[in-house]
Amino acid sequence: MEMPESGWAVKAEDLWFAYHSDLWAVKGVGLTVPWGAFLMVLGPSGAGKTTLLKLLSGLLRPCQGRVELLGHATDNGFPPKLRPRVGYIPQQLGLVRSMTALENVLMGALGRQRGLGPLFGLFPNREMERAKECLALLGIAHKARAKVYQLSGGERQRVAIARTLLQGPAIVFADEFVSDLDLPRAAEVIGEMRDIGSSEGITFVINMHEIPLVQQFGDDIIIVRDGMIVHRGVARDVTWSMLQEVPA
Amino acid sequence: MRRDLLLGGSIALLLGLVLAQLGFFDLARLSKGTANLVIFSRETVPPDLGVLPLAGRALLETVQMAVAGTLLGFLLALPLGLLGARSLFPPVVIALARFVGAALRAVPSLLWAVLFVIVVGLGPLAGSLALALYTVGYLSKLFAELFEGVDPEIMEAVRGVGASRPQLARFVVWPESANGALSQLLFMLEYNIRASSILGFVGAGGIGFYMQVYMQTLEYQRLATLLLLILAVVLFMDIFSAWVRKHYLLAFK
Repeated sequence: MEMPESGWAVKAEDLWFAYHSDLWAVKGVGLTVPWGAFLMVLGPSGAGKTTLLKLLSGLLRPCQGRVELLGHATDNGFPPKLRPRVGYIPQQLGLVRSMTALENVLMGALGRQRGLGPLFGLFPNREMERAKECLALLGIAHKARAKVYQLSGGERQRVAIARTLLQGPAIVFADEFVSDLDLPRAAEVIGEMRDIGSSEGITFVINMHEIPLVQQFGDDIIIVRDGMIVHRGVARDVTWSMLQEVPA
Repeated sequence: MRRDLLLGGSIALLLGLVLAQLGFFDLARLSKGTANLVIFSRETVPPDLGVLPLAGRALLETVQMAVAGTLLGFLLALPLGLLGARSLFPPVVIALARFVGAALRAVPSLLWAVLFVIVVGLGPLAGSLALALYTVGYLSKLFAELFEGVDPEIMEAVRGVGASRPQLARFVVWPESANGALSQLLFMLEYNIRASSILGFVGAGGIGFYMQVYMQTLEYQRLATLLLLILAVVLFMDIFSAWVRKHYLLAFK
């Protein structure tokens, strides 16, 4: 793991963002995430969780405010060198259905492969081996040659995680990516992610709405409502009523 | 209600005026035309099968022109379609790519054929090039729209790992659009087989040359054989396309 360049993996100050000029999706959010944290973001649908995650990960640029990611300011343009160190798993996983699990995982290496080889499906042996290791780590090495459309929901989740692991990120942002799974399977996937995160020293920021999973696996939580952070606390203390009642 | 009636009445009146101007209400002319059609039909039967060897060769050349033109056009339309996709390139590149496509599309394949007959001389090469250019214009537009329709979440996820534009095109845009693109390619092939049958009118190769000769020399029975052959090929292509779509293009829906 690299040495932290500042005290925080993520530091955001007074973030504002609107998709349309008259409707703020994120309003004045300030946030710090320590290195190696497993932070969970909660909130009702439409609260601005996805937008906040995209702002923090550099996929959206704030209208106002400042984001420091892995010690680099990103609000005035995302430094290209930083991109491979920031993982992002969208809600629908962002997998290419007609390609195999292994091919999807190998996409995680594209940020450091600038030659013509990958365009013809040729990756260096070390990337190929590492991709297989990532699949094995998540218990789906036997599905490497299966097309994504042939995989179950849980297997797809694991492919998306394996792709992010191959990327070799220092931080991963994941957006409600286990919401399609039943609770036991979701717990399995999150548990594996948490273990890998601990051993590799990866910071996680995860949007989540399953309270039992938050209590079981989260360190800290923040609750987002109406585009603002209305609560920050410890994951094991969170309750469903708390999520409903926290005033905006 | 009254406004709807007024609008409907205005459209009907406009349509009536246009039809009248085109001669649709000239009953004398229409009845004479019907009589001519009956005479023409009588003169085409029975089709003269003696021209089959000659027509078969010409038809083969027609199909070759259509296949070559479609494939060449497809290969050129792919990069042009990518350059015209908003999800991949900046507005200046998109505008330029779309302008090139629109310019190629604005000229019908028959006019491209006239141009290429002047440039490369009479024969199927001119016809193939004409079909290729029209195909580029047509497919590049369809491809650009298809490529833009790729799920933005997949684009975002792979762009997020630091993938370059060519990598995005190779690993996301093409695999996600391949089904639709191949379906459009088949449609274009069907269209080009129909279009290539008349390119011979201007000397650009294929069965069209003989169609024109038989029409000018009033040899309608021979013409009928050619028309039946074209019909058979077009029907075969329809069946072939449907088979390919059913067995290969829906595999992972």
